[in-house]
Amino acid sequence: MVKINVDSKGLSCPGPLTEFVKAYRTASNGDEIELTATDPAAAPDMKSWCEATGNVFEGVKEENNTYIILIKVTAKKF
Amino acid sequence: MKNIIIIGGGTGGTMCANALLKRINPKTRKDWQITVIDKSEYHAFQPDYLHVAFNGMKPDKLFKKERSLLFAKIKFLHDTVTKVDLKSQTVATEISGILPYDYIVIAPGSMPNYDMIPGLRESNLDFHTSPQDAEKIYETLKTSIGGRFVVGVAGVPYKCPPSPNESAFLLHDFLKKRKMLDNSSIIFVTPYPKFYTAPAISEITEKVAKAKNIEIVTSFNLDHVDVQGKKLVSMEGNEIKFDYLFMVPPHKAPDFIKGEEFTDKDGWIKVDKTSLKIEGYENAFAIGDVTNAPTAKSGMTAHLEAEVVTSTIADQINNMSDKEYMFTGRTHCPFEVGDQKAVFVIGTYDRPAISVNPSFENYMLKKIMGKIYWSTLKGSFTDIFKIYFGEDYMKVVKKQ
Ligand SMILES: Cc1cc2nc3c(=O)[nH]c(=O)nc-3n(C[C@H](O)[C@H](O)[C@H](O)COP(=O)(O)OP(=O)(O)OC[C@H]3O[C@@H](n4cnc5c(N)ncnc54)[C@H](O)[C@@H]3O)c2cc1C
Repeated sequence: MVKINVDSKGLSCPGPLTEFVKAYRTASNGDEIELTATDPAAAPDMKSWCEATGNVFEGVKEENNTYIILIKVTAKKF
Repeated sequence: MKNIIIIGGGTGGTMCANALLKRINPKTRKDWQITVIDKSEYHAFQPDYLHVAFNGMKPDKLFKKERSLLFAKIKFLHDTVTKVDLKSQTVATEISGILPYDYIVIAPGSMPNYDMIPGLRESNLDFHTSPQDAEKIYETLKTSIGGRFVVGVAGVPYKCPPSPNESAFLLHDFLKKRKMLDNSSIIFVTPYPKFYTAPAISEITEKVAKAKNIEIVTSFNLDHVDVQGKKLVSMEGNEIKFDYLFMVPPHKAPDFIKGEEFTDKDGWIKVDKTSLKIEGYENAFAIGDVTNAPTAKSGMTAHLEAEVVTSTIADQINNMSDKEYMFTGRTHCPFEVGDQKAVFVIGTYDRPAISVNPSFENYMLKKIMGKIYWSTLKGSFTDIFKIYFGEDYMKVVKKQ
């Protein structure tokens, strides 16, 4: 299992998602992706993305207007 | 003689060269040579590639010779840049050899990255790579009897964020006009969780898409295209069948800057997002699609960035360096939703895109921007643009 950190602080939509999607391409099942974002839309977007793709939204923490979003990659077949 | 080199005579580079010539004080101008280098002799108006693909517009209407778009005092080199060395302040080209510079603006745009998705090149026709490619879509549509048309975002990033969505609407217009809607379906596919990435715009345009029976598949992470089976296969193993595939490929930075110290891990040039100076350099700038600035890769962005960069360089040359010019990340992307209606995606680094209703007026505004494009390159409407955008694209602050 690898932990992949994706820092998208200061990026507004679609920046965080674009950075996340790029990281997801190279990730494997079991990996965790930690997306750090200042865009408040990032967490709800990631939640819907996980629901649609079958990956696991492990949660979000907010610290000083920064959101730390944790996603576990579980749904990859390729 | 001192040298300003501009790499790329596209939207950003051409604007930059012409605006700089105008902004440098006439007394000092004779000491400065502005040179634009482009591997192509022709400049293309890219937004109309969509209309080549879906309306049968003729590609030859979209080109002008780059030389004719630059003021006479600007030198144009029809040559390919092979390397930029910011430390030694030189540019290497295929024909002209090594060229020294005092200032450099790098604006070579972005290019499709088909290698990222196996099978995509063999199966896809796209309206991004060239007008000739776009024309192949129209040729295909003309002889089509209908079927499953799959459009959308094959991978990220890509230029002109609304263009994949626009292709769904313009395709719908085409099929409607040809009375082919009954035996056709349009499927829009995107890796993002919404129809369009900006929530306010997505909400409005998704409704229009649904009313037109455009099927929307979100969060689809395309892994490869099964060429024989004619289907998209996602990283999660989901499949979408197609008869026709017209997707926007992911884009990458041009190869000649690959691996350079001034690029990020994905190959884009690392700039300060407000000054557009290349990180660590005072006399080197990058604008347009090639930067890592977190804003849309679009012609309007390249245009506004050119305003910022030329104001900075001209002030330095004119010894008036008491001001700082800061780009706000302003976007102004037209987004056609078919039936001669459009919205605009308007936002900045700090302000998400606002909600805009589809209207004929917005559609006409897009058309007008297309019509005035060529004269805009020479700065004909600079004052009007300044009034229109106000302070929303560039903040001017007095240096401490
Ligand atoms: C279908 C489509 C629709 C679009 N619609 C819109 C729209 O409605 N509104 C909008 O604002 N934008 C739109 N765009 C995006 C817009 O066209 C681009 O973002 C814009 O042209 C970028 O400007 P640029 O100066 O960065 O690069 P470009 O205009 O692409 O110019 C780059 C130049 O650099 C040259 N070059 C590259 N490599 C080298 C090299 N090694 N040596 C020498 N020269 C080199 C190229 O030949 C080219 O002339 C659209 C694009 C497409 C494809």
